[in-house]
Amino acid sequence: MTLPLPLRAQTLTVRAVSDALHVRASGLGFIAGPVLERLQDGRSVRVDFDLVVLEKPNGATITRTQQSFNLSFDLWEQRFAVTRIGPMPRSISHLTSRAAEDWCLDNVTVPLASLGRTARDTPFWVRVEYRIPDRSTTAGPDDSTFTLQTLIDVLSRRRDDENRGKSVEAGPFRLSN
Amino acid sequence: MRLLSLLLLILVLAAPWQTAHAQDIDAQATRAQDIEPRDGTIIESVDLSGLSRDSLSPGLRRELDALTGEPLSRSRLNEIAARTEEEHPDVVAAVRYVMRPDGQVRVIVLVARISDDGSLVENINTRYVVESVEIQGVPETDVSRSLRDRLQALVGQRLDHDEADELARLLEAERPGYSVERRISRGSERGRIRVVFEFSEKEGTRWIPFAPSRSKFVYHSEQGWSGALDIPMGGRNHRVTAGFSFSNNDDLIEEYSGVRVAFESRKLATDRLGARIEIARFNNTWREPTLFALAADPTIPEPYRTRLTVEPSVTFAPTPYVRVTGGVSLSELESLMQPPASQNANAVVTRIDYDQRWYQASDVTQRVEASYELRTSAEALESDLSYRRHLGSLRYRYSQRHNTVFANVAFGGITGDAPLFERFTLGDSATLRGWNKFDIAPAGGDRVFNSSLEYRYRFVGAFLDGGSVWNHNGEMRFRMSSGFGLQGDNGFLTLAFPLNADDLNITFTMGVRF
Repeated sequence: MTLPLPLRAQTLTVRAVSDALHVRASGLGFIAGPVLERLQDGRSVRVDFDLVVLEKPNGATITRTQQSFNLSFDLWEQRFAVTRIGPMPRSISHLTSRAAEDWCLDNVTVPLASLGRTARDTPFWVRVEYRIPDRSTTAGPDDSTFTLQTLIDVLSRRRDDENRGKSVEAGPFRLSN
Repeated sequence: MRLLSLLLLILVLAAPWQTAHAQDIDAQATRAQDIEPRDGTIIESVDLSGLSRDSLSPGLRRELDALTGEPLSRSRLNEIAARTEEEHPDVVAAVRYVMRPDGQVRVIVLVARISDDGSLVENINTRYVVESVEIQGVPETDVSRSLRDRLQALVGQRLDHDEADELARLLEAERPGYSVERRISRGSERGRIRVVFEFSEKEGTRWIPFAPSRSKFVYHSEQGWSGALDIPMGGRNHRVTAGFSFSNNDDLIEEYSGVRVAFESRKLATDRLGARIEIARFNNTWREPTLFALAADPTIPEPYRTRLTVEPSVTFAPTPYVRVTGGVSLSELESLMQPPASQNANAVVTRIDYDQRWYQASDVTQRVEASYELRTSAEALESDLSYRRHLGSLRYRYSQRHNTVFANVAFGGITGDAPLFERFTLGDSATLRGWNKFDIAPAGGDRVFNSSLEYRYRFVGAFLDGGSVWNHNGEMRFRMSSGFGLQGDNGFLTLAFPLNADDLNITFTMGVRF
């Protein structure tokens, strides 16, 4: 079943392929800055995606799916490799940064069945969120002593939201025949 | 012989190769590396393993077929492997060679699915062979020989992601003051990589640490509650600390309440140079035993109602383990008996600190801290009280997993007329536990010796304290105490009792330090 999509709204596009809802987002651009530096240093980066279908902006959740990916950068090919982590892993390599981002997002889908009648009869909104977990090492045993300073440090640590995660929400979309 | 070779080839290229994993590539690579054919060697045959030839594009298939009977060209074969990967981006391809007895070479293009190999899933660069392993950030000799050997064992192999992670963990365990990051870069030729384990200092290994927090709330069954709260604000190099004291009688012979503000910088152009200034104002109260003792000994300077202190200092660290501090301590003491008359107790302060840690094994840590401080009143500073105060201390800590042993010793002496806040005391929540300082020396002493041995298993601890505080013209009596309870770096709850007292008086202490 292929429905007459995509429907465009701001930076997000959705389309139904087979029995799943796929999302495309322009400008998500998570392979940049410190993430890109880390990859170019031959390290790997994990990215966690959360795709949520909403009844209205910031409204109730109709359905959601979460998917994690592992990224690395082939130092000799100068291309990115991505693996979808989970019970049915899938990998791909030789991708540009943009293609790697698109491949990740294309592999975060929600089954159309889970949308139920709501999505078909009424408009819905989609929120795509990605997070890059901090892999920095934890404090060693000598740093384990609790002080007010450590608490203040933790609470006042600057959140590098631009590089650690982003959320894009758009709508309304409608699945119509 | 030819029949045997044929059988071997059939076995090699049989069904298991159709699902060849990257480990198989590795194993094949190891075998094939024994004999390296030269470019120009005639190719006997070209086999594709792990992928059906039909799945290749016609052009690539033709190119593969055309290689048979041609002179070997590594660059051409690497290009074919790369094109195979481009056509099938879910696989990795590697070219391996098997020398034939007749001098020709059999070429095998080994293909493996990325998702079938945990290492490749984690990092695509694990397909490459490690050319070299380096340590950066600390001298290589700071890493144990056995660990260096394990690092070097990575060379010549495909990068084993799990092993490399384990090595990074072991490196961190050997140098807990550092965090270790693994970086990979291209090697000198295609398909080779360099692995770098990069050490970077953690916060605890700064040349000049900030002054330790004095925050605590403690209860002593003989002395009551004492409280202090430090609120530090600032960044990694500079900070301001606002401090509050609430009826604190746990440190000195006086009980004081008030505020203090400290400005600290531990990087003045360089990590080796720091500066600090503290301004404090306290209201003082005195216990009856102290006032009686002071009344009985007119040679001891009088008590005061308020204490205003300004202490600027500069610290220089010639090594990461040694710090030298110089400064002054300027105090104005408003008389308790005749306000608003006051005395100045101004001194030059010189201090040297030594602090080093050793990490002998993954779970063993030793730390030695030593310090010596000299405070000398100076005429130039217009001090009304003339004195000299020496205090030396040595502290050793040994930790192995859940076991921790502490051993402390301190000694000090005062000559001249030191203000009461400079006089030594023992018998509180941290020293000579089980004794009450207002019983031992209610006006403090000008001589002190203190020692302590403590053992902890997780949060349960037992200790043995010994020491004496006395006046140079008085009797020195060595006192001992012991106790047990819950002991941690941030909290304690203990029962302590004197060992050589006339009567058994159990002291209960509890509190938090943070």
